[in-house]
Parts: sequence; C-alpha cells; structure tokens
Amino acid sequence: MSIQKKRQPAQTMIDIQQLTHLYPRRHQPPYRALADCTLAIAANTLFTLTGPNGSGKSTLFRILCGLARPSAGTVTLSGVDCLRNPTAARRLLGVVFQHPALDKQLSILENLRIHAALHGIDAATFRQRLAADLAWAGLEMRLHERVATLSGGLARRVELVKALLHRPPIVLMDEPTNGLDPGGRRDFFDALLRLRREQSLTILMTSHLFDEAEQADQVGILHQGRLLTTGTPAALRSQLGRDMVVIQTRQTTEASALRAILSARPGIRMVQREQELRITGIDPDTLQQLLFQHREQFESLVIHHPTLEDVFIHHTSPSQAIEVLS
Amino acid sequence: MMRPIRSLAWRELVRFFRQPHRVVGSLAQPLLLWLFLGSGFSASFRPPGLAGVSYLEYFFPGILLMLVLFAGIFSTITLIEDRNQGLLQGVLVAPVPRMAIVLGKVGGAMAVALTQVLLLLVAIPFLGLSLGWAEGILLLLGLLTAALGFTALGFLIAWHMESTAGFHAIMSVFLMPLWLLSGALFPMEQTPGWLQWLMQINPVTHALRLLRLPFYQEASALLGQPEYRLALLVAISWAVGCLGVALWQVNRLERGAPLP
Repeated sequence: MSIQKKRQPAQTMIDIQQLTHLYPRRHQPPYRALADCTLAIAANTLFTLTGPNGSGKSTLFRILCGLARPSAGTVTLSGVDCLRNPTAARRLLGVVFQHPALDKQLSILENLRIHAALHGIDAATFRQRLAADLAWAGLEMRLHERVATLSGGLARRVELVKALLHRPPIVLMDEPTNGLDPGGRRDFFDALLRLRREQSLTILMTSHLFDEAEQADQVGILHQGRLLTTGTPAALRSQLGRDMVVIQTRQTTEASALRAILSARPGIRMVQREQELRITGIDPDTLQQLLFQHREQFESLVIHHPTLEDVFIHHTSPSQAIEVLS
Repeated sequence: MMRPIRSLAWRELVRFFRQPHRVVGSLAQPLLLWLFLGSGFSASFRPPGLAGVSYLEYFFPGILLMLVLFAGIFSTITLIEDRNQGLLQGVLVAPVPRMAIVLGKVGGAMAVALTQVLLLLVAIPFLGLSLGWAEGILLLLGLLTAALGFTALGFLIAWHMESTAGFHAIMSVFLMPLWLLSGALFPMEQTPGWLQWLMQINPVTHALRLLRLPFYQEASALLGQPEYRLALLVAISWAVGCLGVALWQVNRLERGAPLP
C-alpha cells in the first residue's frame, strides 16, 4: 500500500489540484474562469483538452506555463511545484503557443540559436540536435530563410522543433494546428506522434477540433471553467451507448412533441437543441415505431456511432435539456 | 545570465539593421535637425559667455543626446510588437532570470542608439572640437549612462502599452519636452526663473551636462566639479531606478483574484 502511494506521484507528470482562477472585474463580482479543476496526467500521455471558446482552456494554459498565478489550487510538474519554483518548472516545459513565437525578421537558424541561448544549450549539443531535428522536420534546405517567407505549416514545424530543442519531458501546446490546412494538420500530428514515441513526451494540448482529440490517449472536456469529464476517446464515446440517433424536425414544437412521446420509453436519454433531438439508449422497437408511425413529424433521422463531438454536446448542453428516465 | 542577454540584444541589432527605413529614419531626423537649426541660428546665436561657440557646435551635444534618447527609447517600442506577435511569451516561459529579459531588450536598444552616436562623433574634428583620451572616456561613460537610463524608461513605458500609437502619443508629450528643456537647444542661464527651475529638476539636463562638459574641460577638473558630479549622480540614480521599476514590472505576474 505504502509502496503504491510512493510510486503514484512519480508517474504523474502533470498534476493539477483544485485549480480555481478568478478574473477581477470593476464594479462586478470577479469572473470565474476556472472552477476547482483537478487533473492528473501520467507520463507519456497525449492529453487533449477540448472546450468551446471561453471555457477556460487558455487560462489553464497560462497558469501551466507560469504566466499567471491562480486564485487557488496547485500545479505540480514532474514533482516540481510550479507556483513555488517557477524557474525549475520552466526547465521541464516546451511550449507551443497559439500565436507564433518566432521572429519573422530572423532566419530559422537564428531563431533556434536564440532559443538555445535562452535554454543554455551549448554549441556542440545545439549542432547535434539541430541535425537530428531538421531531418524529421524537412527543414535542412531552408535553415537560412527568414521565417516570414515560410508557409504556415512549415512555420509551425519550426515552432515544434524549437519547443523540443531543449528536450523537455513535458510539452504544452495551445491550439497548435490553428490556421493549418488539413494536410498541414496531418503532417503536424504525424511528426508529433512520432516524437512522442521517440522522446517519451508527456503532451498536454488544447484543441477545438474533435478529429484531433480522437488521436489523443486521454481527452478532457472543459466547459465554463469546469472539467466535466476525462477519459480515453473510446471510453468517453461509450458513455453514450452504441448508437446515437439525431432527428431533425422542421419546427421546434415538433421536436418537443417527439420528445414527449419518447420520454415515456425506458432507458432513453435525450438532448433537444431547438429543431434537433439527439437520442441515445434507444431500443429497436422504439426506433421502428418512430420510423413507421411518426415519419411525418421529422425531416431526417440519422443513426451513427457516437463521436467525441456527441460526447461534447451531451456534456455541455444545459442540464434541463437532458432527460434521464429509468 | 550573460548569454541570454547577449543573444536577446543581438536580436535587436540584427532586426534594426534589417529594416533599412528604421536606420535611415532614426539617423536622418536628428542629423537634418542639427544641420538646419545649427546653420540657421549660427548668425544670431550670441549668448554671453559663449563667445566663439557657433550654434552648430553648441547644438552638437544636444543632438548626441537626442540620438541616445530617441533611438534608445524608440527601439524599446519593439517590445509592443514582440508582445502582440506572441514572441515575448516564448521568452517569458524560458528558464532565464527576469533581469536577463530586461537587460537583453535594454542592451539591444542601447547598442542601436550608440552605434548611431558613434557615426555622429565623426563630426567632432570638423566642429573645431577636440577630445583627449580621458575626456573621451568620460564622454563614453556619459553616453552609456544616459542611454541605459532612458532606454530603461522606454522599456517600462512600453511594457504596459497595447499599441505603438499609444507609445508615440506618450513620447511626444513627455519625451520631447524633456529634451527641449535640457539645454540642448538654448543655454539655461538667460531663461526666466520658472523655466530655469523646470530645467534644473529635469534629469535630461543632467544627462546633457555629461555629454557637453567633456568637450570643454579636462577630465581631472571635471571630476572635482560639483556640477559634473551631481550630473553623474543623477544620471546613475535615474538608470538604476528605471531598471529597478522595469524589473519589478516583468516580475509581476497576472494574478487571480482572491477567493470570496
């Protein structure tokens, strides 16, 4: 028992405990950006935090980077208290910001050299790592080009090379694929997943794209400052059962009428969003009844396996819209 | 700590020289001002006690100061760009002492300003001025102290600015009068009492003394002179004070409001 307790913190790379952040406002009570968030991320995990704009992702990110001090709670990175010992915590971090943190007037090499100086990487190590990193990034031929001339995808790759140049065990990324086309996003993820294997990285990234979150080991859903749920993508999807039925009606009243009919059925969970009715836990008989007896009341009916987007909508819909009947 | 400072300062220099319009703009303005005002006023400039000093010559230390002040302070304007472009965040999350971040920026801006000043020092022999080794060193000391103090001032003003337009506005109502009232354009002795008083408490006046006096007195005499010593003391205190406030600002983190 005691051995297990001792081993636990060593495996947790990012440990967030009861984190609360309030933004002071004039003549108004403070705005609560994060409310009592607790999250532990194990070593070698790719964790994706999703949530709508204003859910608190960026605030959490700023606190993890040591750019803001929370109202309450603790952040521990690989056993280092982030708030008490910020410089030691910074050494463990590689950070990719949403906005590019490269000097456009300087070349790729010059940007990386400044980064090396800021992180105390000596010249020999720098050369050695540069050779290795440029190979995977495909940037060898463009080392002396100014960052301003690079495409969005290439500039992001330089950011990733830069963030990993000092070989940090933990990487934080805020919407790293922002502004990239689908091809660029795929390339970025391929590189990221390979690097994670090779350098055993623990990665925490934020994203509002569910197909990206699908590639993560663990996903957390943040909404209005609260961490609503965490788990593997598969586990989160299975919360919603095997099938997801989405009905579109012409009018909100029709959707409400269908909801009233279905609510008499056992085991059905429904979320209504105006003309849309999202149903899980439906049994074949009820589905058949819906198709043959109520066809006139809806425009379309789609059945699919739940996606992370469904999980997200399920968790973030106002609670009065969800009806659980046993 | 030296390597991050050097690296950040080097970046400022490279950026400056890669933008030719900045080089031209920064150097041409004081140079034209000096040539036009200096030549124009030379005929009518006859203040008592300054016989034989042309206005072009009188104005020279003032132009050196202008370069130090304006080139230095306007180089720190890039801090606003760095913040808006996201570059500053990347530097702030690096494990370097916060003082290195201040000194990197300030040092780079100083280097930009002093490079231009050195170009202007070429004019010394043509003005009939001469400078011994010891006086030259004192002049350099004055230039460094003034550049450090006023560049640090630029840093701490730029730190909280969201736009370069706001920075320009502050600078024109604040910096320009400071320079005008430093004795750069006219000697203090003949001005009305209230103006003399304003000029006396102006730190830029003291910085100007550090740049003007070495041309006219020997180093050994200067170091014993109360006026020069006071000027040195004011300029050094100003530099230390501004650097201190700048460091305090960079150290200050955004904090969450306390729980109710």
